[in-house]
Amino acid sequence: MIPGYVFVLTPIIFGILLFLLNHGHAKQSALLFQASLVFASFYNFVKLRALDPPLSMECLGGWSSTIGITLKWDLVSAVFVILTTTLFFFLFVFDYRSGHVDRLFLMLFCTLQGLIIGIFLTHDFFNVFVLYEVSTIIVSILIMFQKDKQFIYDGMFYLLTNLTAMVFFLFGVALLYRMLGVLDFALVRERMALLSDVRSLILPYAFFLTALSLKTAILPLFSWLPRAHATPSAPSTVSALLSGLFVKNSLYLFFRIRNIFDPFLGMTEFFLFLGWLTAFFGALLALSQKDIKLILAYSTVSQLGLITMGLNMDHDLAFWGAIYHILNHAVFKSTLFLSAGIIAESYGTRDIEKIRGVGRRMPLVAAATILAILGITGAPFFSGSMSKYWIAYGTKDALTTLGFFIANFWTITCFIRYSTIFLDAQTHPTKSSPLSPTMQHITVFVMGLLSLFGGLFARELTIFFFGKHLPLDPLSYLQKGGIFLVSLFGGFLALRVIKRSKILEKIRTLDLSFNDVGILMFLFFSLSFLYLMVKYAFL
Amino acid sequence: MADVVSFVIFFIGLYALMVKKHVLKSIIALVIMETAVILYFIAGGFKEGMLPPIGDVLPERMVDPLPQALMITAIVIGIASTAVALVMYIHLHRKYGTEDWEEVMKKRIEKDA
Repeated sequence: MIPGYVFVLTPIIFGILLFLLNHGHAKQSALLFQASLVFASFYNFVKLRALDPPLSMECLGGWSSTIGITLKWDLVSAVFVILTTTLFFFLFVFDYRSGHVDRLFLMLFCTLQGLIIGIFLTHDFFNVFVLYEVSTIIVSILIMFQKDKQFIYDGMFYLLTNLTAMVFFLFGVALLYRMLGVLDFALVRERMALLSDVRSLILPYAFFLTALSLKTAILPLFSWLPRAHATPSAPSTVSALLSGLFVKNSLYLFFRIRNIFDPFLGMTEFFLFLGWLTAFFGALLALSQKDIKLILAYSTVSQLGLITMGLNMDHDLAFWGAIYHILNHAVFKSTLFLSAGIIAESYGTRDIEKIRGVGRRMPLVAAATILAILGITGAPFFSGSMSKYWIAYGTKDALTTLGFFIANFWTITCFIRYSTIFLDAQTHPTKSSPLSPTMQHITVFVMGLLSLFGGLFARELTIFFFGKHLPLDPLSYLQKGGIFLVSLFGGFLALRVIKRSKILEKIRTLDLSFNDVGILMFLFFSLSFLYLMVKYAFL
Repeated sequence: MADVVSFVIFFIGLYALMVKKHVLKSIIALVIMETAVILYFIAGGFKEGMLPPIGDVLPERMVDPLPQALMITAIVIGIASTAVALVMYIHLHRKYGTEDWEEVMKKRIEKDA
C-alpha cells in the first residue's frame, strides 16, 4: 500500500512546486498528476480490500499512537479518498481552458486537496483541528478568487464563523485531553470506557457538537454555507468542490466522532430531528431563491440534513444508505454547480426567471443538468433514488417516514422550479457571450452520466466499495417510484399555489447577521449541553 | 484556578462575538477565545515543582510536553488565521466604507440587487 501521508503531502508539495517553477506546462502537469493520484487511490483501495480485516493503521515518524499522529485506512476512508481524487480530476479537466486558472489558483487548489484527504485519513483529534483550520483559510481565499467581482463580505463571514467553530472544537479537544491524556480516536474510545462517570464527557461533547454542527450546516448554524458556496466571486469549480466534497469532510468527521461518543452519550434522536428540520427548511429556502447558484447551495443544506437523518437512524441499512448518498450527492451536486456556472456565464445572469431555452442553446449541458436533477430528486433508476430508498428503510415510525417524504417533496418542487430554465425562450437573449469550451460541456455530461450509473449499479457499487449487501425489494422500490411520481405531480401544483402567494418573498429576505450566528452558536451549545445533562441526570 | 479563568475568558470572547457589531472587535473576540483555550491546555500540563521540557531535564521531572507542542502549533495557526482575517478586514473597509457588520450586510444586498 502507498502510505497515507503521500496522499496528503504530494498534492501540497506539487502545488507549491507549480507556484515556484512557473513554467508553461503547469496545467498539463497538474492534469497528469491528478490522473496518477486517481490511480494511486484505486490501487490503495484494491490492496486494502485484500487485507483481512480491511484496515490499515500508520503511525507517522515511528511514534506510538499515544503521542504521535496516526492515519487510518478503512473501507470508508479509502472510498472517500477515491471520491476526492476522482472529483479533483474532473474539476481539473473542466478548468483546463478556463481563464482564471493561474499558478496561485493551482497551488491553493492542490493544497486543499491534500488537506481534504488528510481529514479523511486522520485518526487524531488535534490533527483534525490543524487540517481544518488551514483549509478554512484556503477556502476563504478561493471563494474570493475572481477579483473583479470580489464579495469580501461572504469571505469574511465564512472565515470568522468557521474559525469560531474551530475554537469550540479546540476547547473540546483540550477538555478531552485533560481527562483522558490521549488524542487518538481509538485510544480515546478505549479510555472513555474506564471513566467512572460518563457525565464528565458531556461538556467536551457539547463543544464538539457545536463545532461540527456548524461545519455540517445543521439547521440553526447553516447561514454561512449558501453565502460561501454561491458567492459570485467563486469560480464554479470552487463552488462544486465546496458543495460536493468539502462539506462531506464535516459529515465524515461528524459520524466518526459521534461513533466514539455514542456508546456513552446517545444523541441520535436529537440529530434525527435537527436533520429533518435542516432537510425541510433547506429545501424551502432553496425554493424561495432566484439566483440559480443560491438554489443549489440551499439544496445542499437540505441534502446534508437528509444525510444527517440517515446517519442518526440507528439502523445499519440507513447508515450505509446515507454514506452512499454522500457519494451520490458529491457527483450530482458538483455536476449541477459546474453546469450552472456554464449557464450563468453564457447568459450573463444568474436569475432563474431570465434564463430560458438552455436545451436548445447547450444540449450537452442541459442533458447533464437533467441527469443530475433526476439524481438529486430521487427519480427511479438514478443514484439518488437508491440511497434515499435505503435511508427511508431506516425510518421506524410513521412520523419519521412522513417527515422524510415531505422533505424530499420540497426538494422535488424546488427542482421543478429549477427546470424552468429548459423552457423555450419567447425572446432571444440580447447579449450573446461566446460559448464556453467544449471540454467543459463534455466533462459535465460525463459527470451527469455517473449519476445514472450510480443508480443502475448501486448494489454492485456498494458491494464493491463497502462490502455490504444492501437488500433491494422490487415491490417496495416500485412503491417508492410511485411516491416519486405523486410528489412530482404535487410539486407542480404546489409551485402554482406558492407562486401566487408572497411567502417566498418573505422567506428570501431572511438573513442572519454575524452576531446572530454567534448567539445561535451559544444557544446550540447550551441546548445540546442541557439536553445531555437532563438525559443523563439519573445515572 | 486557571481552569475557571480560561472558561471565563472563553465566554467573555463569545459574549463579544454575540454583541459587538464592529468587525475588528469580532476578530479580537476570536483571538480572546483562542487564548482561553491555550491557557486551559497549558495549565492542564502543569504540576507544582515540575520543570519546563527544555534542555537536560529528566522525563520524570518535567511537565507533560505534549500540550506545549500542540499549543505552539495552535498559536502559529492562530496567527496565520488572524492575519488573513485582518487583511480581509482592510479590504472590507475599503470596499464598503464601514466596519459595522449590519451596515456591511445591508450594503452587500444593495450592491447585489
